[in-house]
This record gives sequence, structure tokens and C-alpha cells, in this order.
Amino acid sequence: MRRASNNPGSDTVVLHAPSAPRTVPLALSVRNLHAGYAGREILKGVSFDVGADDFFAIIGPSGAGKSTLIRCVNRLVEPTQGEVLLDGRNLLALGQQHLREARRHIGMIFQEFNLIERLSVLDNVLTGRLGYTGTVRSVLRVFPREDIGNALRLLDRVGLSEHVHKRADRLSGGQRQRVGIARALIQNPRLLLVDEPTSSLDPKIAREVMGLIREIARELNVPVLCNIHDVKLATEFCTRIIGLQDGVKKFEGRPAELDERAMHSIYAMEVL
Amino acid sequence: MNPAAALDLRIDAIAEQRRRTWATRAAIYAAIAAAVAWSVYAIVVADTDWSRLAFGTISRTLGRFLYFDAALLPDLVDPAIDTVLMATLATLLGLFLALPVAWLGAANITPLGKASFVFGRGLMTLSRSVHEIVWGLIFVSAVGLGALAGVLAMAARSIGFISKIIAEAIEDVQPGPMEAIQAVGGNKLQVLLYGIVPQVLPVILGTVIFEWDINIRRSTIMGLVGAGGLGLVLFRQMAMLNYGGIATVILAVLVLIALGEVVSHYARKAIL
Repeated sequence: MRRASNNPGSDTVVLHAPSAPRTVPLALSVRNLHAGYAGREILKGVSFDVGADDFFAIIGPSGAGKSTLIRCVNRLVEPTQGEVLLDGRNLLALGQQHLREARRHIGMIFQEFNLIERLSVLDNVLTGRLGYTGTVRSVLRVFPREDIGNALRLLDRVGLSEHVHKRADRLSGGQRQRVGIARALIQNPRLLLVDEPTSSLDPKIAREVMGLIREIARELNVPVLCNIHDVKLATEFCTRIIGLQDGVKKFEGRPAELDERAMHSIYAMEVL
Repeated sequence: MNPAAALDLRIDAIAEQRRRTWATRAAIYAAIAAAVAWSVYAIVVADTDWSRLAFGTISRTLGRFLYFDAALLPDLVDPAIDTVLMATLATLLGLFLALPVAWLGAANITPLGKASFVFGRGLMTLSRSVHEIVWGLIFVSAVGLGALAGVLAMAARSIGFISKIIAEAIEDVQPGPMEAIQAVGGNKLQVLLYGIVPQVLPVILGTVIFEWDINIRRSTIMGLVGAGGLGLVLFRQMAMLNYGGIATVILAVLVLIALGEVVSHYARKAIL
């Protein structure tokens, strides 16, 4: 797979967003995505493009399909129709083997952190390498020296040098989310999926975590697709926003373009 | 010291620590293997009459069981029904008696502090530490031969298991609902009924179904101590050295247990 930024000529397209057109190297392109189960449609044909340097936010009321949308990208939820192109490759067309290979390059950060509680912080970060680790090594829990070095470096970077050997369930919420970030980053991701990273955290820690994700994404040049219900955090940290309502895209634009009318169309009759 | 060398040192420390963890683990496995080897030698190797274990003898003895005594079938119907009824009654009686024991033995709701907790846990241990056959002998001498002794014996044995599982479920309930009922001014009974029972009900039902399943198994052997059911028939066939009859009763037990398995599978699905 090639990185979009390496081929700006071939992968550059002009997007016809409702606002001004923009020219960006594309990382992720979602086309006419449908998903649902038991006869209920949750996503009703959503399309958008994430640029290689985007911190891309999905906002919308509860039940709009934000989490489903994020999970359709790495197929934790199977879409029923549409295309998800990562660096030009349609993830929805992949068989199990190739899907697993593709997932190795997509980091995911979860709302409830989803750490393995009984493992140490270091081992939790190392689980990010399992996509590259053989069966014998996995069973014996023996990771290559290089992986351990990278894990330590990432733990330093997210500010957890002091907690390397603690069990994950001994940490505070903010610290756990930092472990989650390090686990996603040790994958060397080409895309970060971030699912409500701050809803389990208090406002101050939430801002720190968002800031950290933004900084590291810039340092490592990774595009971020983030669903977040806190509109203020979205406008402050993100470069581009789409608004979902009931599985339909109601808004797309830069944070500055998210005015009262746009808010009203996303949140409809809901009181803000 | 430059950062790369410092990182190398930290990785070395971790590698060393992991080696030590592995050495400990290997030592534990070796100790377990040695204990197993010693047990096998002491119990099996030294204590077996190897001269009896010629292939011919084994196959001849086992071969005697390969007969089906169809003439016995009509005599198995009533005992089989007895067996199921005994198991059902014993389970219900066990549950009825287990509820107060669980209440005493759950640390977070036990009424009289440590004293009642220890008493409740003591009852659980007493119930479980006596084998159902021994309970059977006790009740046969108390109430005489027959199904009643079997029912009482199995109920006595069921109390410990059911109450222990329920007590542990009660100790693990989410405190939120209890808090909410206290906050609206509920009394202790109301907290129990609304804050705790709905949370542990699935556990109670699941455990009772499981215990019923076990009691069907148990009631097939309660006959050995004269407590009625299929076990009594089995015991008689053994006394008559009618190997085909023994095989037939065992087959009937198998069918009964398989039926119990099916019923409990669907009951579990319907209730939980």
C-alpha cells in the first residue's frame, strides 16, 4: 500500500464540499456508506473524504450513527453497501486475511479505553503489535526488542514513563486513555480512528487528551477520523467537521463554518 | 549518557525481568509436573494389580456390558419418572432454603455483621463438604428408605452451591441501584427487592437450572443408598450380576440426562 502523501499528483482531488473547494492529498474516502441490522438502517448513504493531514470530526446527536460509521471503516461493523477507500484501496472488498493486514495499519482509540485490565501498561501497548506477531510469540508473550523499545518511547511520549510496569486497572481514566493512544500508535498507523475519546473523562483531562492526539497525529503525519459529541472540542481541535443526523450527513465544512443554522440542521429539534 | 543508550539499558532491564518471570514460571510448571508424576506413581503404578490388566481380561470384562436387556425396559419407566421428580423437588427445596443462607452469607447485606456472615458461610461449607451419598445415608437413617430421603439429601447438598453462587452475585451487584432506592427513602426490604433482586435474578435462575441438571445426575445414584429412582434398579442389577441390565440402566440414565440437558438449554434461553 502506498501513502497518499507520497503521491500527491495521482491522489489529489478537488472536493466539492458545500464550502470552498479544497485541494488535498486523500487518505480516506468513504462513498455512499450504508449499514444497519435487523431491518433498521443506521447509515443511509454517507460520503466524505479525509485528507492526509486532517483531524476530521464526526458530530451529531446520540444514535445518529457516529460510532457505527467509525466502526465501518475497519469493519468492526460490516457495512451493507458502499466503499471505504484507504489510500485508494477498497477495504470493503477485502477477504479476512487481507482485512487483518489492512487493520494493522489502522489505529483505533476507544471511548472506554478497552485496555486489557490485568496486563501491565507495557504489555497493553505491546498488544498493538499483535497484528505483526506470530502465534508462538503471542502465546509465550515474547515481543521483539525493537517493539519493547518503541513501546517505551511511546510511553515516554504520552507521559507515562513512571507507570510502565503498573497494571492497567491501577491507572486513572486519563492515564488509561494515554495507554490506548500508545497502543494505537505502536501500530505505525496510516489512519487513526478515534471513537468518543473524551466521554469517559472530565473536561480538563478531555482537553489534554484531545491536545495530545492532535500533537502526535501532526508529528507522525497520521490523519485522524474522530467521532465526538462535544461540539466545542470538535471546533477547537479539528480541521474539518461533518454532522450526522439519523444516518444522513447534514453538514460538512471547516469548524468556522459551523454556524447556528448548521447546528440546527444537525441537531434538528433537540435543545442545545 | 545519550538517550539511545539509556533506552537500551531500560530494554535490557525489562528483558532481564521477563527472563526471570519465565524462569519462575518454568520452575512452577516443573514442580507441577513432578507432583503429577509422583501421584501417578504412588497411586496408579504402585497400587495396581498389573497382572490383571492383560488385554484379554479387560476386553472380556468390558464385553460383558455390551448387552441390552430389553426385558428390563418396562420396569424402568416409573423409576425414571421418580428420578426426575426427585431432582425437581430437591432443587426447588434447595433453592428455598438457599435464599436465606445467601442473605446471611453475602458480606454487603448480611443482617448482623460478621457473626451472621460467618454463620451463613459456615452453612454453605457444611452443605458442600458432605457428599450427597453421605447426606443420603444420614437421611435414610432419619426418615427411612425411599424417595423422601433422596430428596432431602440432594436438597441439603444443593443449598451450599446455590447459596454460594447467589451470595457472590449479591456481593458483586452494582451499588448504583441500591443507592437510588435508599435515596428515595426506601427501607431495607425495598432496597433488597428493587436494588438487588432484579440484578441477581438472572444468576439465580441460571444457577437453579444448572443445579437441576446436576440433581438429575445425582438422583440416578441416590438409589445406591436405598433412596429410590433409577439408582435402586441399577443397584439391584449389580447385585444380580446382570451386566446387560446394568448397561440398560446406564443407557436409560444417559437418555434422561440428555433430555435434562435439552430442557435446561431451552429453559435458560427462555428465561435469561
